[in-house]
Amino acid sequence: MEKAIKRYFPIFVLPTMLAFILGFIAPFIMGIYLSFCKFTTVTDAKFIGLENYKKVFTDPTFVHALWYTALFTAVTVVLINVLAFAVAWFLTKGIKGTNIFRTVFFMPNLIGGIILGYIWQLLLNGILMQFNRTLTYSATYGFWGLVILMCWQQVGYMMIIYIAGIQNVPGDLLEAAKIDGANSKQILTKVTLPMVMPSITICTFLTLTNSFKLFDQNLALTNGEPSNMSEMLALNIYSTFYGRAGWEGVGQAKAVIFFILVAAIALTQNYLTRRKEVQQ
Amino acid sequence: MAKKAKDDVSRVRRAKHGTVLTVFFSLLSIAYVYPIILVFINSFKKKAYISRKPFAIPTGKMFVGLENYINGIEKTGLIDAFFVSLFITVFSVLVIVVCTSMCAWYISRVHNKMTSTIYYLCLFSMIVPFQMVMFTLSKIANMLHLSNPVGLIIVYLGFGAGLSVFMFCGFCKSIPLEIEEAAMIDGCAPLQTFFQVVLPIMKPTCITVAILQTMWIWNDYLLPYLVIDLKRWKTIPIAVQYLRGGYGSIDMGAMMGVLVLAIIPIIVFYISCQKYIIEGVVAGAVKG
Amino acid sequence: MKKKLLSLVLGTAMVTTLLAGCGSTSTEAPASEAAEVESEAVETPAAESEAAESEVAEAPAAEAGDGAVYYLNFKPEQAEQWEALAEVYTEETGVPVTVVTASSGTYESTLKSEMAKEEAPTLFQVNGPVGLATWKDYCYDLKDSDVYKNLSSDDFALVNEDGSVSGIAYVIETYGIIYNKTLLNDYFETEGAVATSVEEINNFDTFKAVVEDIQAKKDELGILGAFTSAGMDASSDWRFKTHLANMPIYYEYKADGISSTDAIKGTYLDNYKAIWDLYINNATCEPSLLSSKTGEDAASEFALGEAVFYQNGTWAYGDIAAAEEISDEELGMLPIYIGGEGEENQGLCTGSENYWCVNAKADQADIDATLAFINWVVTSDAGRSALANDMGFVTPFTTMADYLPANPLVAAANEDIAAGHTAVTWNFTTMPSEEWKNGVGSALLEYAQGTGEWDAVVTAFVDGWATEAAAAKAE
Repeated sequence: MEKAIKRYFPIFVLPTMLAFILGFIAPFIMGIYLSFCKFTTVTDAKFIGLENYKKVFTDPTFVHALWYTALFTAVTVVLINVLAFAVAWFLTKGIKGTNIFRTVFFMPNLIGGIILGYIWQLLLNGILMQFNRTLTYSATYGFWGLVILMCWQQVGYMMIIYIAGIQNVPGDLLEAAKIDGANSKQILTKVTLPMVMPSITICTFLTLTNSFKLFDQNLALTNGEPSNMSEMLALNIYSTFYGRAGWEGVGQAKAVIFFILVAAIALTQNYLTRRKEVQQ
Repeated sequence: MAKKAKDDVSRVRRAKHGTVLTVFFSLLSIAYVYPIILVFINSFKKKAYISRKPFAIPTGKMFVGLENYINGIEKTGLIDAFFVSLFITVFSVLVIVVCTSMCAWYISRVHNKMTSTIYYLCLFSMIVPFQMVMFTLSKIANMLHLSNPVGLIIVYLGFGAGLSVFMFCGFCKSIPLEIEEAAMIDGCAPLQTFFQVVLPIMKPTCITVAILQTMWIWNDYLLPYLVIDLKRWKTIPIAVQYLRGGYGSIDMGAMMGVLVLAIIPIIVFYISCQKYIIEGVVAGAVKG
Repeated sequence: MKKKLLSLVLGTAMVTTLLAGCGSTSTEAPASEAAEVESEAVETPAAESEAAESEVAEAPAAEAGDGAVYYLNFKPEQAEQWEALAEVYTEETGVPVTVVTASSGTYESTLKSEMAKEEAPTLFQVNGPVGLATWKDYCYDLKDSDVYKNLSSDDFALVNEDGSVSGIAYVIETYGIIYNKTLLNDYFETEGAVATSVEEINNFDTFKAVVEDIQAKKDELGILGAFTSAGMDASSDWRFKTHLANMPIYYEYKADGISSTDAIKGTYLDNYKAIWDLYINNATCEPSLLSSKTGEDAASEFALGEAVFYQNGTWAYGDIAAAEEISDEELGMLPIYIGGEGEENQGLCTGSENYWCVNAKADQADIDATLAFINWVVTSDAGRSALANDMGFVTPFTTMADYLPANPLVAAANEDIAAGHTAVTWNFTTMPSEEWKNGVGSALLEYAQGTGEWDAVVTAFVDGWATEAAAAKAE
């Protein structure tokens, strides 16, 4: 059978492959190369070695964005997962209106980041105005504004995954725990939590990468104001690239570093998950 | 008897407990949709009052009827943007589902160096952030005359292939080979086998991929912004952002109108396909 | 006075009629016609040529071949007017003209990403010599173009050392402190007013005293503040980080007898601080809200009569007029006094930061089409009328002599020159980079909010200038 299929390479694989080369592989390789170049368009690139990378770390906005992003990611990962799990826990108890609640909580996910950003800008600025403050007064306001926005958007998504996880816990296991006299707290920590570990892993991974790569919401909500202080990495790269004449190469170098960070997070996560699965 | 009484008590207690939770979650749900309602209310308010009195109900002097909507549509070309978004999303998703499922089936049935390279490249592409390729990708797309909605479909196929191929591959591995072999022995060519036998089995994964890609492509801002010829086409997110950008100062009225109009199709889509969306998300998460 | 008033009324009526889609103007139209008859002696060339428009045949558009025009417009205030004009041209000649307007503060980045595209802009703008440095290679030599021949003086062109012409200014603008005459007069009549007529305000100290007194009497005057909000949102911050910052630079250049520098000394930064303090402490809102105040906020505050003073320029007229709350004769413009030497004779700030450049890397057909289009804009009736009347531009073209905008702010600028004041030149075109402006802007905002010190502004101004100038040199 393999032989029969093999001849069909041009039909089955080629279209995707060509698009993939064009949409990913070629830009990726060129991107790596350009990070060592000085350029304004691709055709005028001049190789300058590690110059761009040196500039990256002397750029205070990048270092700031790095820490800002890391902190943001840490806060949102914890908050979103705790909240999503809590909501999922209660929504699997069979209370009235569960379906409606689920529908409502999930909805913000489908709305795009740009639109979400402006929705929350209106609400948060309206509230802050009562205290003579605005979202762009300082990076702290922007930070918590983004955190609230992200929670609002992502809790529903993660909740759905947790609900599926909780519902997959075998009923007889819970019965057995109950018969053994476990109270509901013990059931939660000793039975349910370990059983939904795979969901937790997935949700952590998803929130981690979503937060780390956040761009649209950041652009719409604060656009990095004031003075690039609420700028996360993705936005910092974008504004370096398109906002500063002569800094295109540095922007590309930042992008490479960004890629390495994302890859490192993904691989670490993957490694930890694997190890845990083996233990189980 | 005693057992029944005990059951009743716990049922009553549970019901009480449940009522409290229902009330709590009802309130939470209202709070959850409040931001959207707020935007809706403000969309009928005169623009000068929106940022000054965001929580006021528009009455009297503040009420402007549909002016904000008309303004917003005119300034951003939202109607055109809607159709551009629709075109790009529908066709990109279709193309992605068909092409990547074919590709995934091939590479999970034919085992050689090349197919495993492709598989690992796809896996790799999933962890590369868009910023890494944004400039070069838009440059290549331009050189190849892909700065239009049709070209964008190809770009989406290329950049979105990784995740889809990966998910289809995961599913293909679980399809028993016997079914396909039987079909081939019956004289089906590989293409027929794929479309008549394999694809129907893969339907759940197709839906998952389609849902995930739709959510991404419909809402994507930066890729189309950098790739597409902005003076001819805008997608909805670009149109919204254009309001913030294109006009020196933000017309808050038009912004509110546009936001409401941008949310409506999403809600319609969500309500009509809710079951698939939630299932798709769960399935996607388990495999992703 | 009566004549002036008449011409102003006439101007308003005309502008309202011309602004298509601004609601019913049927009641005003006859009034304008009537006024036109009466005011033959009055100097209203715009009105006359308007009337003549229907008689004169449209100037035939130059042969443009099969090219297309793509104009990346810098001025959001005139976005709609450009789009309308483009439509007219396309209807007349069949040549497609697209106008895209960049967000405020993002022109450079939009230009960069658009230039990288296959269908790049054929017509774009630079803000002067500094902006030109980035785009030099993209500028088509305009020396032999018709539009250059129509330019009244080389002062309005970016002429290179080899004699080639890279850019042509298409609008001359003036900014200062726009004020509401009615409100200011109300103030002059209050008890214990520091000044009794606007003529007395000819230096910083008087101005400061007046502003602070107005602020103290704001409830009595029924206003929210002396100044509109000094918003530091990207749609408004250029008023301070660029236009206001021009003042200390102007005085420093003047004192040192130079016209540009790689190392600013910041001699007049204390004056900059004084005026900035005045703006933020006597405004319609708390300084802590400035970060999200937009240009639209300030414009609507002024247009609704909530503030007396509004630092902006001739281009702001459209926004003010659109609100239909303040009549034209209520508008005046004061120079920005910061306490420099001899400021009694200082005038408004006049110059240009809008130079048209034609993309040399476009197809020849597109270049020809673009050149034909811009020449059409400055020679045809429709184009000239759009420039002068719809957009309210004063232009440096000889063809535009009969087309002067009916803009009371332009009139104020002309009066200012007639009064013998020395116009302040636009030295902000010598600012080393956008990055420098951003640095100054952020520091200004932090200082205003109380989250930063004034020293940071000084650092951003002086040290930032040196760094950015050196970086620009290195490239």
